[in-house]
Amino acid sequence: MRTIILGPQRFTVRATSALRSLETSGPVAVINAGWEEREDDVSELDAALDHRMRGLRLYHRLTDVLRKDPDFAVAVTAFRGRQDELSGLYRIRLAHAMSGVYAVQRQIPLHPARARHSAAYRAMGDAIAGVRAIDDWYLREAQRLYQEMEVEGGVTTSEVIAWHRHELRELHNDCVAWVFPGGNIRTLMSVLRLFAISVPPEVPVIAWSAGAMAMTERIALFHDFGPEGATETELFDQGLGRVRDVLVFPHARRRLKMDDPGRLGILATRFEPADCVLLDDGVVLDVGADGLLPDVARRVGADGLVRSGEDL
Amino acid sequence: MSGKLAINRLRERPDLSAELVTQFVTKYASPIIEGQRATFLFRGEADEMFVRHRVVGLPDPLPMKRLPGTDLWAATVDLPTGSRVEYQLEVRRGEHYERFNDPLNQRVAHSPMGSSSVCAGQGYHVPDWTQPDPEARSGELVERHLKSKALRRDQRYLLYTPARFNTVLRYPLLVVHDGPEYVQFAAMKTVLDNLIHRLDIAPMIVAFVPPGDRLREYANHAPHARFLARELLPELEAAYPLVEPPAGRCLMGSSFGGIASVSTAYRYPGVFGSLLIQSASLVFTDIGQDHGGGPYFDPVVKFVNKYRAKPTRFTDRMYMSCGIYEPLITPNRSMVSVFREAGITVKYEENRDGHNWDNWRDRLQAGLSWLYPGPQRYVYE
Repeated sequence: MRTIILGPQRFTVRATSALRSLETSGPVAVINAGWEEREDDVSELDAALDHRMRGLRLYHRLTDVLRKDPDFAVAVTAFRGRQDELSGLYRIRLAHAMSGVYAVQRQIPLHPARARHSAAYRAMGDAIAGVRAIDDWYLREAQRLYQEMEVEGGVTTSEVIAWHRHELRELHNDCVAWVFPGGNIRTLMSVLRLFAISVPPEVPVIAWSAGAMAMTERIALFHDFGPEGATETELFDQGLGRVRDVLVFPHARRRLKMDDPGRLGILATRFEPADCVLLDDGVVLDVGADGLLPDVARRVGADGLVRSGEDL
Repeated sequence: MSGKLAINRLRERPDLSAELVTQFVTKYASPIIEGQRATFLFRGEADEMFVRHRVVGLPDPLPMKRLPGTDLWAATVDLPTGSRVEYQLEVRRGEHYERFNDPLNQRVAHSPMGSSSVCAGQGYHVPDWTQPDPEARSGELVERHLKSKALRRDQRYLLYTPARFNTVLRYPLLVVHDGPEYVQFAAMKTVLDNLIHRLDIAPMIVAFVPPGDRLREYANHAPHARFLARELLPELEAAYPLVEPPAGRCLMGSSFGGIASVSTAYRYPGVFGSLLIQSASLVFTDIGQDHGGGPYFDPVVKFVNKYRAKPTRFTDRMYMSCGIYEPLITPNRSMVSVFREAGITVKYEENRDGHNWDNWRDRLQAGLSWLYPGPQRYVYE
């Protein structure tokens, strides 16, 4: 099982060389549903993939199902409402819990020798454990909602969905590699579930940005520079799990406060033992059969500093 | 550069002459912004000159002084960083007073009441998302009509649907008081197009509703509330794919439109999940009835006093903004804690501006992105 994780491709295109490095020939299945309405604007992507692209058009298929299966459409509306409600509750709990973490963090002595043995340091660890409990609660509730949606939306009984699933199997059956570009991770995960997409382990995958997030076990949303200002990093969903023990952060320099080691350190500690890995322009990470990232990956440490294994 | 203000350097020139004044006015125009000071200028014959504004804390009218031996008038005020002030000049010639925009200032703001000159202080910039962006796809704005039993009239309104509107998707709904004014004077269609394009706000459907008898119907008026909650909402829910209420229903308004939003949501608790109110006329009295707002404010004060006596959670979330320089700043500040203590989640912002449409325009990104956030959080290209 080989997975190549790339940084964003807007300014530094590495997808072509990554595909060629697989030394395969034949069609490449592409899931760019995260592009939503622009899903069919693929001329540049196709060229970057040596014109071997076979688009699965999952967003287009999603809208087709919504049009043709009214029961599913009603269930989706209800599901979105419940998902938004859950996210809202999660954010409320998270905001309060994180403000507690930051408040305790400010009490830690500045001197490193005293910091580690201080009561405040231990208090911060406990406060972060509280945040982890909230993260776990959210993921459990989110999975429960997905299961409910599967039943209420008739996902396994809908003829329209079954038709698309069948056609998709035919379509990607002979593909020698899969490509997952970036885009809207919410849409991407929705269609992967809806159409029961699973990449055969022996088929290599190239993924970047939202696509890279989908390859991991846990997906985190983050944006310190959005119109609302800095918001807390929040878990969103479970990914396909081809890449293990890691959360990926595409566009880190554009979306994370890299000059705030205190905040970054809490981020890293919160998600331990998984690594928080930054995916900026030009990054290429070749993940082998064990699903573990190579040492060259740039990881955030508990001290808030960013290092790759080569620095250690 | 000298620490002295330009006007004082001119005043001290021994060779002060009409020609020098012409050069000065041509060079600086008006107002002159020097750090946190603004100097207003006028050139011409007058018995008295004033700067007229409605900035709480500054004298209004603000007298201008004539530079001896010239026809140049000037007044200097403090203007903290980020400030934006709308003003006019007033001249007295004998018994005759006349107001007009500053002829030495090209920056003008418009409103239903006419236009005003704009004094933009150091650090104030017109947000780029308020200007047309050729990259942003344009939503559609169409005129619709609804025969209202509550209001006993055919009620016109403008309906905005976002670019790439798709009937299989669901959209939150925003209902805007003084709707056409928001489109005309706060560039709200441009703002919606741009913020949706930037993923800052969710694609949404917006009903821009104009007022009828504004001062009566916006001041806690049962038929107005009934029209919105029981006539307009069902009409739009039947015609458009909307997100479930109450989360997908937001009422918005400024000034009296703000009090109309609050009073409507109060009359129909749980119907509108959120409110966006700007410089709302939340006037109240702590004792007696002397509120100083005139008879149109009587029902407003009665309503706000009643609410303050027994606050309730009539909506989930509320974005409130108010200009620091307007008289409504005190009641708005006071009401934040009242709403919060009732259990409403309130985001409150102040800015160095007044009771005007550019101020309300400039706060749209913060308000809309908080209430109906865009997919930016989910998008990693």
